[in-house]
Amino acid sequence: MSVESSGRLQAMAWIGLLLIGIACFVAAPALGLSLAFWFYLALWITLASGLNIMSGFTGYLPFGYAAFYGIGAYAAAICVRKLGLNIAFGLAAAAVAGAVLSLIFARTLNLRGIYFSMVSLALAAICRILVANLPDWMAGGSFGITLGVGYRLGSYYALLVVMVATLLTVTWLARSRLGMALRAIRDDPDTAEVMGINVGRARLKAWMISAVIAALTGAIEAWYSNVVDADTAFDLLISTKAIIYAVAGGLGTVLGPVIGVIVMLFVDDMIWQRFPVLNVFLLGLVIVLLMMFLPRGILGTLLWHKPRLRRVLF
Amino acid sequence: MTTLLLFQTLVSGIILGALYGLIGCSLTIIYGTMRVVNFAHGDFVVAGCYAPLVLLGLLGLNPLLSIPLVFIGFFGLGMALYYLIMPRLRRADDPELASFLSFYGVSLMAGAAMLYFFDADTRSLNYSFHPSVLHIAGLLIPTARVVALAAGLVLIALLTWFLYRTLPGKALRATIMNPGAIGIIGVDINRLSGLAFGMAIGLAAVTGVLIALVFPAFGPFSGMDFTLIGFVVIVLGGLGHPVGAILGGVFYGLAEQLSILFLPQSLSPVVGFALLIGTVMLRPAGLFGRVGLR
Repeated sequence: MSVESSGRLQAMAWIGLLLIGIACFVAAPALGLSLAFWFYLALWITLASGLNIMSGFTGYLPFGYAAFYGIGAYAAAICVRKLGLNIAFGLAAAAVAGAVLSLIFARTLNLRGIYFSMVSLALAAICRILVANLPDWMAGGSFGITLGVGYRLGSYYALLVVMVATLLTVTWLARSRLGMALRAIRDDPDTAEVMGINVGRARLKAWMISAVIAALTGAIEAWYSNVVDADTAFDLLISTKAIIYAVAGGLGTVLGPVIGVIVMLFVDDMIWQRFPVLNVFLLGLVIVLLMMFLPRGILGTLLWHKPRLRRVLF
Repeated sequence: MTTLLLFQTLVSGIILGALYGLIGCSLTIIYGTMRVVNFAHGDFVVAGCYAPLVLLGLLGLNPLLSIPLVFIGFFGLGMALYYLIMPRLRRADDPELASFLSFYGVSLMAGAAMLYFFDADTRSLNYSFHPSVLHIAGLLIPTARVVALAAGLVLIALLTWFLYRTLPGKALRATIMNPGAIGIIGVDINRLSGLAFGMAIGLAAVTGVLIALVFPAFGPFSGMDFTLIGFVVIVLGGLGHPVGAILGGVFYGLAEQLSILFLPQSLSPVVGFALLIGTVMLRPAGLFGRVGLR
């Protein structure tokens, strides 16, 4: 099979899969299925894929990813509630806020490994404390903000748009020059630099895309749930769940995070129903076992053993 | 009056700082030998807080006398945990990431287990010394704090003796400095790391006992805070310097207590995080270190 036709086969398989997925999501509310289930499925797919843009392609694990999610949620809430603007402006403001915050945090990209993760965690914690301490007239203090724009179906479809855009971005990245540059940097930053790749700039692009996706997701969740408060919007679990779902599926692959989210949400749901008391304990156990036996993730391990599958799955 | 308050704050900063330093010390032993940040470290400290509570209730044991018992118990637990998960994690493509996330999983498990056994509300150690407050040079200091500081200093002395005067301790420091070379001269790194892990977990739990004496209350959810404090402390002290960690701890303790005095209560936690970011960005080798491990 020639390279070109294999590429075409891959593209067609991928587009077909995407269309089936989108059809499921679009039809779900019309079929009377639980909207909350589908909303949060889409939310985690978006967040895990958004994180994958940063972590999968550059090897950085931002434990403070929730900072962007939270800032997006607050930007939207302030626009809608305090400035009386339309939710569309709220989403735009969230995207801008996410991009600006990622630029402010850009200096941390010089750090490596655990240093980056922990500093990012600390920055998210600072954001949470500062937002919780903003004056009440601005950000509602510790009680948070109620938006008063409850239109759940609208927020669901907005999220679907963001999800599809995110998946298309990851697909594009996996094939593009930027994606290749990022992988080269991940595997060997010094060699990549010698080869003429602008390391700082490539990383910054991935970082900003990742941040804007998280900010939009946060804003849409605020729209959906109609309320934001600092403790839930900047919750560490948002970062860690996104990381774990993405790792479970396979970082650096396009479909990995999607598979990871579906499998882990299923496992999570099963644990909740059967062992409500031991829920968190078993989640921790699943993470430990996952890292011990499938450190490359589900899809990553599959591709490792069956490299030929890379033609259709990537 | 204000100067008195300031001195009081400085004294409690030093006492708490010594305890924070001990947390950092055990965390840095693990990081140094295995290049692993133990995300569950704080949870072992909190488990150590509960230990004297249980022993006091069951056996009526004095918290200070329970220290050796707690150390032995958690040493065994740490060794078991090491041999259960670490050898496999080391074979992963990216051992740093794999172990970091696994220990996050361990942290979730430990937190959930403590929640199950001790409920969500905060507890305190129902044990008081007599007299409960000491007058030292015009300052009022709770006896429990003085006792905790003394015990902490003894622990630090023991640890320093172990690291600098015994063969396993020297091997441990050598591993921190150059893990490749220590393998070449025939030291079994796996056994040494197991020992180091058990020791660090034991030390973390013992620090928890002292913290239970000093802190008015603790709950199953404080683990994460202690992990973060430990990480800030070892970054301040320079990663992989057990003694630097003690100095980092005292520095952090002073900064924390002063910020509680001068800043609004809800803003004071920012100081710890800001300290971490500032040090990593400006002085990656730590406040006292020379070589950066970044």
